[in-house]
Order: sequence, then structure tokens, then C-alpha cells
Amino acid sequence: MAELVIENLTKRFGEVLAVDSVSLHVAEGEFVTLLGPSGCGKSTTLAAIAGLDRPDGGRIRIGGTVCFDDRSGTFLPPEARNCGLVFQSYALWPHMTVFDNVVFPLTLRKVPAAERRRRVEEVLALVEMEAYADRYPHQLSGGQQQRVALARTLVYRPAILLLDEPLSNLDAKLRDRARAWLAELRTRLGLTTIYVTHDQIEALSLSDRIVVMNRGRVAQVGPPQEVYERPADPFVADFIGTTNFLPGRVVETADARALVALGDGQRVAVRTARPPAPGARVTLAYRPEQIRIAEAGEMPAGAGSVVAARVASRAYVGGRWQLGLDLGGSPLRLETAAPPAGDRLRLWLPADGAILFQGSTDVSLV
Amino acid sequence: MSGAALPAAGAPGARAAAHSWREAPIQYATALLTLVLVAAPLLPVLYQSVVDRPLYDAGRQLTLGNFVRLARTEGFGLVLWNTFAFAALTTLIAQVLGTLAAVLFGRTDLPAARLLGELFLWPIYLSALVLSFGWYTVYGPSGYLTMLWNAVFEEPFWDLYTLPGMAAIAGVSLAPVAYIYCMSSATITDPSLEEAARVAGAGTFRTLSRITLPLLLPAIAYSAVLNFTVALELLAIPLVFGEPAGITVLTTFLYTQGVAGIRPDHGLAATAAALMLAVVCLLVWLQGRLLGNTRRFVTLGGKATRPRPFRLGRLRWPLFALAALYILATVVAPIGVLVLRAFASFLSPMVPLSEVLSLANFAQLFAEPIYSRAVWNSLVVSAVGGALATALIAMIAVIVHRSDFRFREPLHYAALFPRAVPGVVAGIGFFYAIALMPGLGEIRNTIWVLVIAFTMRFIPTGFGAVAPMLLQVSPDLDRAARVQGADWWTTCRRVVLPLMRPALLACYTILFISFFKEYTTAIFLFAPGSEVIGTALLHLWIQGEAGLVAALAAIQVGVIAACVAAARAAFGVRLHG
Ligand SMILES: Nc1ncnc2c1ncn2[C@@H]1O[C@H](COP(=O)(O)OP(=O)(O)O)[C@@H](O)[C@H]1O
Ligand SMILES: [Mg+2]
Repeated sequence: MAELVIENLTKRFGEVLAVDSVSLHVAEGEFVTLLGPSGCGKSTTLAAIAGLDRPDGGRIRIGGTVCFDDRSGTFLPPEARNCGLVFQSYALWPHMTVFDNVVFPLTLRKVPAAERRRRVEEVLALVEMEAYADRYPHQLSGGQQQRVALARTLVYRPAILLLDEPLSNLDAKLRDRARAWLAELRTRLGLTTIYVTHDQIEALSLSDRIVVMNRGRVAQVGPPQEVYERPADPFVADFIGTTNFLPGRVVETADARALVALGDGQRVAVRTARPPAPGARVTLAYRPEQIRIAEAGEMPAGAGSVVAARVASRAYVGGRWQLGLDLGGSPLRLETAAPPAGDRLRLWLPADGAILFQGSTDVSLV
Repeated sequence: MSGAALPAAGAPGARAAAHSWREAPIQYATALLTLVLVAAPLLPVLYQSVVDRPLYDAGRQLTLGNFVRLARTEGFGLVLWNTFAFAALTTLIAQVLGTLAAVLFGRTDLPAARLLGELFLWPIYLSALVLSFGWYTVYGPSGYLTMLWNAVFEEPFWDLYTLPGMAAIAGVSLAPVAYIYCMSSATITDPSLEEAARVAGAGTFRTLSRITLPLLLPAIAYSAVLNFTVALELLAIPLVFGEPAGITVLTTFLYTQGVAGIRPDHGLAATAAALMLAVVCLLVWLQGRLLGNTRRFVTLGGKATRPRPFRLGRLRWPLFALAALYILATVVAPIGVLVLRAFASFLSPMVPLSEVLSLANFAQLFAEPIYSRAVWNSLVVSAVGGALATALIAMIAVIVHRSDFRFREPLHYAALFPRAVPGVVAGIGFFYAIALMPGLGEIRNTIWVLVIAFTMRFIPTGFGAVAPMLLQVSPDLDRAARVQGADWWTTCRRVVLPLMRPALLACYTILFISFFKEYTTAIFLFAPGSEVIGTALLHLWIQGEAGLVAALAAIQVGVIAACVAAARAAFGVRLHG
């Protein structure tokens, strides 16, 4: 177990800047998730940590070992780093049995035969695969292969554990089970872990901290709750959880409050620590669960605003209705138990919890 | 719960021993060996072409005189013309036959199309030398069919001792190459375009000529350049049929000037070889360009759906008869009669077979130590040399495709370069190299010279069998081993190479067959004691021992047939393409 320090890591593929000045400090025993859309540079970052690709710049230190440093030209090959990497494809060797797969790293380390056997059995028991030691990988299901891949990595007690979308090849049901199992395992092992995923649920439920990545850069780092509740920018807000964006202009500010005029002139009040100057273009972000249909006769108050919206579409999704709304020209998504009667309705927007971003961000890009 | 948890991280000492230092020596050694192997025959040829006396004589001067002399050599213009005419005619015949066969066997409801297609391929498994003798036995001046024809009609209408005659034999033996490329072309495997035309109301032959053939053009064009190159390099057919008739092509010119003459003119031979090398390099470059364009049209692996074949209708049986006749005349008869001749003291349509059947040819062959040694040498060169070459090719492949070796691109290039080196040029080149290098005297008269030369010749062939499979092995598999603490070489040994076992086995089989039938390089390099079947065949041929030639050829055919059959049964590989 060791800490991991990454400074200004940069990697290009030709013209593409796959990883752009990424810096990150992972404490000993911490579980950190790299979260971002496909192609944002997560796997490239992981490969750089494991030593599979030589980065173009920056520094990587694992515990006391400097693995890569562009200034001194240090570059340790993967076999000298003692990392554990579970591949998205699992990468089990098809010509070896489960036992042979798992024992391989111990043979490399010249562990005595008796201890080798004991440790393989121990780790296979840990991942609940002891009954399958003599099988070949193609005789296992996806979930079982994933466990063997994990066992093969845990058996040699790597300094840090790197997991590249380990659940993405499983079907939805299995994925939920495997996630719960992984969460339990991680509290048991307490290994320093970098977990890569594009799935926000995995990230939110497993991590000590989440690193949201966007186009090779770090967009935000923080504990799950903070990233969810206080996204640093519209990209993060949109990527983690569905988010409704309403562009507008500040018309009035008071201490820690701003009054924003939407496209059609309706006004919305939000609470924010540092309100921008009147006249500034802003974007308001609401989680779907924050918005609700206003009760009859409910009027704007200190706690929130009431606005009128048009119903553009409605769909029954089992027990609830999903409404597509139009509010001052912006699309809005909302879930409700009872659908409104007409095609116009009034919405209640809370002042607390809404997030105000500076500028009129083109959120369709994210 | 903590009972099941893993103990704390191992001490630093538990880390895998770092063997990373092994990587560089292995990679550099392989690259250097490959480079030496490929450069060994080329540098002496190029150097000899620009000095004024044999390489082993003192007082050499740099000169361009050889080029002038070659240009002024009487009849050299005719040699070039013959070479070109022979290659062009051969290519034309091969492409026409190959394309027709591909359409007929691949896309129509011709009876027994699969069997005919298999038989059509046979010539590429055999050496051109053996095929030449087969044709001679059937269609030569005293050949079986010639005598039959003479008895019934008058003069036969064919004469193998002419450019068209030679081109016919060569064309038939190269037609399988055109056939293979057309068969893997998109039109054969994906008939949707044809079906569209047929739905639109086009008839069978209209669809064939307007849709199928134009779509086959890229495959035809690429294999045409390939076949033209092979025809330029062909030695056996011009040697057997051209020389007696006074028709000299570049390869036979090199053979007579370089080794077979009483006073070989090394300057001229090397210069002609350099010229040939330049032309073939150009053609191979052209192949590369064409292949880039062809890829778009070729579906590799093919589809599972069986395309709906064209209905031949009333022409079905007449076309079948024609195709069967062709296979009988060009494949079954030459090989069959040659083998029959091996088991007969004499072969003539006038004498009943039962009266002449005997094993005397084989008895005589094995009575002579030189010929049994040739068979044994061929087997050793193929079995041991093939294994060594497979090992080298496996190393080259893992370095080129599975390492971050600094010079892996140049290594890849060097490994494929022998495609551009004709067999005669390699033969002359190694001949010079051995004469030049003081340390090589030891192996001069051994079969190891042949192993070295054959290995150089067939690195690209073997590489072609190994590389595609290696590219299919997911890089994650070796990356996983690296991360777990295996250095590059351990990863290759424990993960990559074991996964490539089928490809290596296929590579070995292909090399065994290639080594076993190779003669071009060998006739420049063999010495008493290091004869192989190819050189012994030529030796017997010059002595006019038709029966012994047939017996030795039959042995080659038998061994290769057994290899092909075993390979098919064992791992279902196709040994071509
Ligand atoms: N070997 C490579 N060659 C060229 N481009 C690559 C290579 N690997 C990754 N990339 C590019 O780098 C970017 C980041 O890729 P990756 O790290 O695999 O993304 P992620 O794992 O987040 O989906 C992508 O734009 C991808 O196309
Ligand atoms: Mg990825």
C-alpha cells in the first residue's frame, strides 16, 4: 500500500492531447475514482501510472519510488512498479487455467511453491472462486472472469490497485451485484485504489473522492456528495446526474441572493455565496428532484420562485410520468406522480440548492 | 472478516526481480542477425557490380565499366526482351486462367467445383522444377501424349521449347495465385452487388461481365504484379526448356554467367543481378501501392453466408467437361505421369503399363550415395532449418509487433525486404559472401549455407503467416503480464509465444515445404556433400536420366503431399495466400 502523487501528467497521441496537465494526490488507502465520458483520457492516465505508456511530461511517484519524471528522464518499466491493474477486458490468459493465471505473478516473484499454493487458494476464496481453479477462462461467465482478474491482481499485494471499468462488461443486474461486492471488498482490503469508470452511480457509491475528467483535464476533485451537490462547472453538473439548465441575466442582487430574469422575462430567485453583478449572463442548474409542480395558489416566497411552463411531451415510465417542459425557450425534464391536466403548468423552483454558473454556457456541448 | 483480508503489502524485496536488462540484448541481437542475413547477399552483389575484377582478387578498382560492358554484350538486348516477353505472357495466361477459375469454381453451380478448385491449387505446392519435368514427361518431344498424338495425327501443335510454350507452363503454375486473390475478393464473398444487378433484371452473363469482373479488377491487378515479379525470377522453366532452344532470359543468363560457365564473368553477372534487383524492388514497391488500394475491396476471413451461385443452365455440363479437361491436362497428367514414370522402366503409349512397372529407378537412386544424401540433406535442411527460421521469425514478429524496441520499424522493413530479392540474386550474393568472408570457409561445403540462404529467402513468407495472428492477440494480455512484474522477455515466453502456437506451427509447415522444394538459391551454393533434391534433379536431368529424375521428383511430391495433408488435418490451415 502506498500513496500516489501525479504532477502535470501530459500525454499526446499525435495531435490529440489525451491527458492534459493532470495533477492528483491519492493518500495511502484512499479509493479515488476517475470519472468522465468515453475518450476523456481515463485509461491513458491509468496506463501512465502502470507504466504501459510513456507520458510526454510530468511526474509520477508511487510511495517512495519515482516512476516517471520528465526532468530527470526517469521511466520505470511496468514490471518494476508493483502496480496491480485490472483490465476492462480482464485480459485473462486463455491458455492457462484459473490457478495458473493467478499463480503467475507469484512464480515471477519466486515465492516458494507451498506458499504459492496457499496464497492462490486464499485469494480465490476471497473472490469466491475457489471451486473454479481448474477451469479455463473461456469456461467462466463474465462476472467470474472479472473476479479471477481481480484475484490475479490482489494475490501479489500490489502497492496500488488500478481498475479500468471493471464492471462495464457485465449486464445490468450482475453489475449491481458486483458493485455491492466490490464495495464490501474495498472496505475489507483498504488498498490504495484508482478506479476508472464512466458510470456516475459506481463513482458516487464506491469512492472516497471523485476526479471528474473532461477532455484530458481534471474538471473537479472532491468527495461524492460535494461533486454532486456543488459541481464546479456545467460539465460536471451535467455529467453527474441529469441537470436542467436555464440561461438568464441577473437583474438584482442582495446579500447572497440574486434575482435572475429568464429568456421570457420570468424571474427566479436563487441563493448564492457571491452573486455576480447585475447585467451578468448566468446559467442556473437544477437537479430534476429539486423541481416540483407548484401547488394551487402557491406564490413565490423567500424559499423559492414560481414560474409558468409549457408541457412539450409526457411519457409514462411506470409509476411516474416523465414530463418534457419548455421554460422560456429552455428544455426542462421533470418527474411527477400525477400528470397535469392541461399543457400549461406552474413550477416551483427552490432558491437553495440551485447552482448559478457565470456566463451563458453552451451546455449542449457536454 | 479481517481473517480473509490480505496481509499488508509485501516488503519491497518481494517485488519481481527486474530482468529488464535482458530486453535490449535480445532485441538488438535479433535485429542485427536479421540485418546481416538480409544484407549478406546484397552488398557483395552491389559491390561486385562496380569493381573491375572478381571480389577475391587483389587490386580492385571502382568502375562503372561493368555496366558499359553489359550494355554492349552481344545479345543482352534480346535477353531483356525474352525476359519481358516471357514474364508478360506468363502473367497474361495466369491472370486469365486464375480469374476464370475463380468465377467458375467460386460463383457458379458447376458440378464438383470445390474439388476442381482444390486441384487447381496444386501447382503452387510444387517446385517449378518438378512441374517442368512433369510437363516434359507428358508434352516433351518424347512425352507420353506427344507420342500418342504422333501415332494418331502428325506433328503436335505444341512445342514447349518456345517462349509461348514456356509461358504456358509458367502461366499454369502461377494461375493459383490469381485464383486465390480473386477468391478472397469482396465480389466472391459478398454477392450483394451482384444480386442487386440481377434483381434489376441483368442476365447471368451480363452480370458477370458488367458487375463481377470489374469488381475483381483490383485483385486481378495486384496478383498480376505479383505474378509478373515471380515470372521474372523464375529459373527452372527457362533452364529446362529455354536453354536447349537458345532462348536466354535474365535468370538463365545469371546462371550461365555466374556459376555454370567455364570462366564465369563475375562483373557481368553481378551487374545483371543488380539490374534485376532494381527492377524487382520497383515491382515490389508497386505491389505495396496496389495492395493499399486493394484492401478496400478484399474481405478477409470471408462471410458465413454462402452466396447464391450463378446458374449456368445448359452450359453446366459442357463447362464442367472443359474444366475437368483443363485440370487433367495441366495438373493431373503432368504430376501423375511423372510419378508413374518413377515407377516404370519406360513409359510409352505403345507398351502396356504392366510390362514396364518396376522399382528399379528407386533402387538405382538409392544405390548412389550422392542421391540418397540429397534426399537426406533436403529433409534435414527443411526440418532443422525450418525450425531455426521459425524461431527467428517468431522473434522478429514479437519485436516488431510487441515491443517498444527503438528500431522496430527498420527491423520490420528489413524482414520484409527479401521479397524484393530474386532467388538467383540471393544465390549469387551468398556465393560471393561466402567466398569473401574468411570465417565462413568452415560452412562453405555444408548444408548450413543452404539453411542460411533459405532462411533469408523465406523470412517474409513465414512472417506473413505469423504476423496476422499476432495482431489478433489482444495487447492487454501481454500488458497484464508486464504490470504483474514480468519483463518483456518473460512475457513473450510465457504469454505471447504460447498463444501464437498455431501460427508458429503453420509457419513451420510452410517453411518446411518452401525449403524442401527450393532449388534456385541452392544451385549457386551447393557443393559435393551438400546436394539437395533440387540440385540433384538438375544434375540428373543434364545426364539425361529421365527415370531417376522422375523417381526423385516423385519423392519430393510425396513428401510435400504428406505435409499438406498432415497440416490440413492437424490445424486446418490454408498454406497459401
Ligand atoms: N493508442 C492510441 N493512439 C491514438 N490515440 C489514442 C490512443 N489511445 C487513446 N487515444 C486517444 O486518447 C484519448 C483518450 O483515450 P482514453 O484514455 O482511452 O479514454 P477513456 O479511457 O477515458 O475512454 C481519446 O481521444 C483516444 O482516441
Ligand atoms: Mg477507457
